[in-house]
Amino acid sequence: MRKKIQLVLVAVFVCVSAKVKAQDDLSLQAILIDSVLTENANAIVRSENVVISINSVNSVVVKTKRVVTVLNKYGDRHADSYEPYDPETKIKKVQAIVYNSLGKEIKKYRKKDFSDRSMYDGFSLIGDNRYIYFEHTPVDYPYTMVYESEVETKSSAFIQPWFPITNYNLSVEKSSYQIINPQKIPLRTKERTFGNYPVEIIKGDQEISYKLSKVSALRKEYKSPSFTELVPRGKVTLGSFSLVNVEGSANDWKSMGKWQYQNLVSGRDELPESVIKKVSVLVADAKSNKEKAKRIYEYVQNKTRYISVQLGIGGWMPMMAEDVDRLGYGDCKGLTNYTKALLETQNIPAYYTIVYGDSDKRDIDADFASMQGNHVILNIPDEEEDIWLECTSQTAPFNFIGDFTDDRNVLVVKPEGGEIKRTKKYSPEENTLHTTATIYLQADASIVADLVSVSKGLQYDWRYLTKLKPVKDQKLHYKEYWDYINSLNILSLELEDDKDNIKYQEKIKVNATNYATKAGSRLLVTPNFFNRTKSKMPKYKNRKTPLVISRGYIDTDEYIINIPPGYSVNKLPEGKVLETVFGTYACNLEKIDESKLKFTRELRINDGRYSKEKYEEYRQFMSKIRNADKSKIALKKQ
Amino acid sequence: MKSLYKLITMILLVVSVSSTAQEYKFGKVSKEELLESSYELDSSANAAILYENKKVSILYNTSTGFQLITEVFKRVKLYNKDGFDYASEEMLLYKSGGNNETISGLKGATYNISDDKIIKTKLKKEGIFKSEFSENYNQQKFTMPAIQEGSVIEYKYKIISPFLSTIDRIYLQREIPIKKLEVKVASPEYFNYKKFSTGYIPINLKESKYNDKITFNNKSRSGSGFTKTNSSFSQSVVEFVVNLDKISTVNVPAFVEEPYSGNVENYISSLSYELSFVKFPDEPIDYRSTTWEDVVKTIYQNSNFGAELKKTKYYKEDIDQLITGVSDSKKKVSLIYSFVKNKMNWNKNRSVITNKGVRKAYKEETGNTAEINLMLTSMLTYANIEANPVVVSTSDRLVSLFPTLNGFNYVISRVKLEDGSIYYLDATDKYGIPNILPNRVVRGTGRVIAKDKTSQMVSFRPAKPSVNRYSIQCSIDDQGIAKGRLNANYRDYLAHNFRVRNAGKDDAAKAKRFESRYGISELDEYSIKGVKEYGKGVTERFSFIVEDQIEAIEDEIFFSPLLFLRDKENVFKSDDRKYPIDFGYGFSNRYMVNIKIPEGYEVVECPKTSAFKLPDNMGKFSFRSNVTNGVIQVVVDETITASMIPANYYPAIKEFYNQVIQKENEQVVLKKI
Repeated sequence: MRKKIQLVLVAVFVCVSAKVKAQDDLSLQAILIDSVLTENANAIVRSENVVISINSVNSVVVKTKRVVTVLNKYGDRHADSYEPYDPETKIKKVQAIVYNSLGKEIKKYRKKDFSDRSMYDGFSLIGDNRYIYFEHTPVDYPYTMVYESEVETKSSAFIQPWFPITNYNLSVEKSSYQIINPQKIPLRTKERTFGNYPVEIIKGDQEISYKLSKVSALRKEYKSPSFTELVPRGKVTLGSFSLVNVEGSANDWKSMGKWQYQNLVSGRDELPESVIKKVSVLVADAKSNKEKAKRIYEYVQNKTRYISVQLGIGGWMPMMAEDVDRLGYGDCKGLTNYTKALLETQNIPAYYTIVYGDSDKRDIDADFASMQGNHVILNIPDEEEDIWLECTSQTAPFNFIGDFTDDRNVLVVKPEGGEIKRTKKYSPEENTLHTTATIYLQADASIVADLVSVSKGLQYDWRYLTKLKPVKDQKLHYKEYWDYINSLNILSLELEDDKDNIKYQEKIKVNATNYATKAGSRLLVTPNFFNRTKSKMPKYKNRKTPLVISRGYIDTDEYIINIPPGYSVNKLPEGKVLETVFGTYACNLEKIDESKLKFTRELRINDGRYSKEKYEEYRQFMSKIRNADKSKIALKKQ
Repeated sequence: MKSLYKLITMILLVVSVSSTAQEYKFGKVSKEELLESSYELDSSANAAILYENKKVSILYNTSTGFQLITEVFKRVKLYNKDGFDYASEEMLLYKSGGNNETISGLKGATYNISDDKIIKTKLKKEGIFKSEFSENYNQQKFTMPAIQEGSVIEYKYKIISPFLSTIDRIYLQREIPIKKLEVKVASPEYFNYKKFSTGYIPINLKESKYNDKITFNNKSRSGSGFTKTNSSFSQSVVEFVVNLDKISTVNVPAFVEEPYSGNVENYISSLSYELSFVKFPDEPIDYRSTTWEDVVKTIYQNSNFGAELKKTKYYKEDIDQLITGVSDSKKKVSLIYSFVKNKMNWNKNRSVITNKGVRKAYKEETGNTAEINLMLTSMLTYANIEANPVVVSTSDRLVSLFPTLNGFNYVISRVKLEDGSIYYLDATDKYGIPNILPNRVVRGTGRVIAKDKTSQMVSFRPAKPSVNRYSIQCSIDDQGIAKGRLNANYRDYLAHNFRVRNAGKDDAAKAKRFESRYGISELDEYSIKGVKEYGKGVTERFSFIVEDQIEAIEDEIFFSPLLFLRDKENVFKSDDRKYPIDFGYGFSNRYMVNIKIPEGYEVVECPKTSAFKLPDNMGKFSFRSNVTNGVIQVVVDETITASMIPANYYPAIKEFYNQVIQKENEQVVLKKI
């Protein structure tokens, strides 16, 4: 198919090449692109050239010229059409020119053609980030956009990194990045995931440049490492810098943390006497610091709510603790700082902790101190192990961070300096779901069943939010969850969220009119009523990325099945046992007496990272489980 | 406009009669309200509006003239944390041509109870946020302080608007229940508004009239020429009638969104007003819109509509060349439609009127809906085809029920040929063909408007269901593995639907859809036909191996004869439903499966032929089976004829699909001989 397109393009080129004017840049033509770059690509970065001049800690100028050829509508978003800014940033120059596939200019956007908008995220109450943009309607594909901008910012705490491949299905023909540092302000660099790419690095005196060419597009693969782990990223940070007019210097996490503590966190923890008194009463009879912390955390959960505010240095600095106390709301920084302040009134040391919050785990880079992270949690060192608090949640149990901030490097900001710590990892043994059920199967193929599920650890996290929904939605949730049972009715629901023990219990009574299938005098029944592996994993002919199972868990099931009078099973199927490095699976059906069967199932999935060759093995493991889970038995009428 | 100014300069003072609700006074939150732990009539409510008072009136202001004043007072109870979203409110304030809406008198407080004492926390500046939302809107938001479970919040504000032509839609129902709601709309007789309502809750609207007067100071001069000029001041009074609409209602249930509802905006209870005409004393009536003729007239008079239709110069040469020597009307329509569809690129803006104009749009090859489809209509007319624009309110908009301009946001073209056949054309849709319109249009409503000022409501929904045809030829072995070929053919709207979703994908990605949807182990020899042949169906073909559809237990083999094609899940899961089910268009899934059974086995059971129907011929299902020479043949037809099914048929359609799934899940049993 691709060959055909190339032929057509070449033919077109031959016919029209005479029309291309001498001054037209040949590289703007989209008809002679190497297939290494077109394969899997929606767009191609033909060339990107970023030059960053660090004039002083209060002036950083970023010049960008980016030429992108867009091959189809999915690639439109890679043709730059917007430039963000804030009160610290000035857009000095911006323009875009669009060329058709023959390299002929068809549209030019100057700065005055750009519209100016607030960066409304639909979520923050207010923010002062804005952007300018234009809307381009592509007339035809492929087309090429040449985007040029020059932006000056007063904050040098972040130096725009080199990030040549920004997405899947995007190839790069040429990319270069250069830091110019005439004042020789000391800088540090860190190269991530350069190994698999032919990057050319030139290091000068406090200056650096990177170059890369001919990288084909990546295709997203199931259970692969996160995108940022797959592509190169060159990071640069200054030894001394400025953030919204606050100057600082740091060379390691200790000094970086100290600067952050002194300039962003410290002195924002004062609370009125009345509040301190109230908290003292609240924790008066608590036996341990942990117990005190728990009461304070629950107090905060009851008193506050989460609201996002992104203004000026407020984007970096928490709201004052007393303001949060009075208003009853704050963002992650404000709520964390407030909780910290309350704990400190009881002499419980607690630390403001910076993290990348996402269910895809992402570390704060332990050996590259710079402004990082997108979220804040609280760390309380305790005798046995650290306590971690997610202060933006009104529902999470104490010391339960769930899969949003688990198992990753974070920066703990202490008065004496920063420290990299790792948050709690939930092991498969902790993430359990245990289900027991008693099922009554009727001769008319219907069932009535009582079941009890108990979930802990991350499985708790994945399930407990259902309890907060209205009953109607709860019922709908179970109907979706067991969507393979047609005409399912939820007769009763008892959901119990035991926050003290972080344990969630679901007691459910259901019926279904046609659970089994009649085939003549037989009843076909799937003995795995309530826990089937449903999804099917894709198969890859040529997988490129390793297999990542980010979190492990254990499911155990035990069902007693009462079969209708007059029916029996001739021969029970043999039990199934599968053992792999990814986990184990076992299911078994046994006869208790003439009218009762017992089904048991245990599935354990281990978290881990495996070579790309292992993926197919894992896929087959899951596929076998899927088949075993839906296999049927035949009950025969006597 | 002139007459308005005249009046404005005369009137200096306006006296408005305002009344306040008796039971609900601002600032008087009761202990009972604070102690209430759940909403009596709906325990699932996370929050409830205890009281909402909305007062809309047209008042006179000396410096700016008549203004539309909207006063809001709300008291909201937050039962639990999920109700905290209602502690914030945001308002969009329209601005245009130097005029803008403003907000004033924003006051609010949160009430909590502690040790039997009511604690009040006022909304302060720090909780109020203003920002520019877009070119035409400013935004103001506020969030209430000191929110707890059980808090009662209260706020009031006033929006002052110079835009009199529409009163913002007044919602009479919300996503949370309303305990008591009072709405008043007062307009002086000079302003005549049309109103219409939506929703399933009866609205008790009381209309009344009262007299009002404006006292104004009149400055008069006496004397002229060389005599001394005397200025004297006198007071005079203008009396007029105010039309007052009042709604007072209690216990309004929460609006709950349901799947497959189509446009929920049409189902929530609300009231809308549009200015129909303005009539000042001793002035002629200034019609804004009132009859469809007026609406059509206004549209045609708009230079971004009527005049745009008349321009021909910019395309004349191209069209002359395109249709030269073509006399058949149908052929001409097809040529011109394809020409515009291929040349023009829609910039995703919906509009009844042009923005940059047809000429510029034509040159740049991009445009909004009006530019593209008015250009199309004009070209067709130029080619002596009877073509008219159709104004449309798209599927995400409130249906326009009464003569109004604002109800429409889109335009397409309608052609009527000599033989009476009618074609709707939308050249913004690259995958469209005559009478196959994009989803946004087919689910919307339209009104065709002719140059003679007549207009007529039209429905775009097709009379005939669109058809999907699947056929499978396969054989199974004694291990339960099925190998065979599948052929899928989509027509009409289903072909359009396919193109919209999949035409941009490469063949590998197209084939992959089946692997995941049907659980196919190996898929090969994929081919596709007809993607670019608009007007024809699309056909996909491939060979497959399926390992998980057939169950071999001891010496018997079980399977559903439709294999992976069978319906497995009923999309209708709720127990009941209040709103219609909107499919957009009728559809029919037809399956024909031939399965060769393995050697040494015989068929001992096979699902029987059967058929059933939905009431009123809204849908039907038939299943026919036949076994000959070791081949099982099954032919199934699932048809939904109605594009929209009323809510009272919900139990019927839910049960219909239950029966379909049950029938399709019936098993064939093979036994070893």
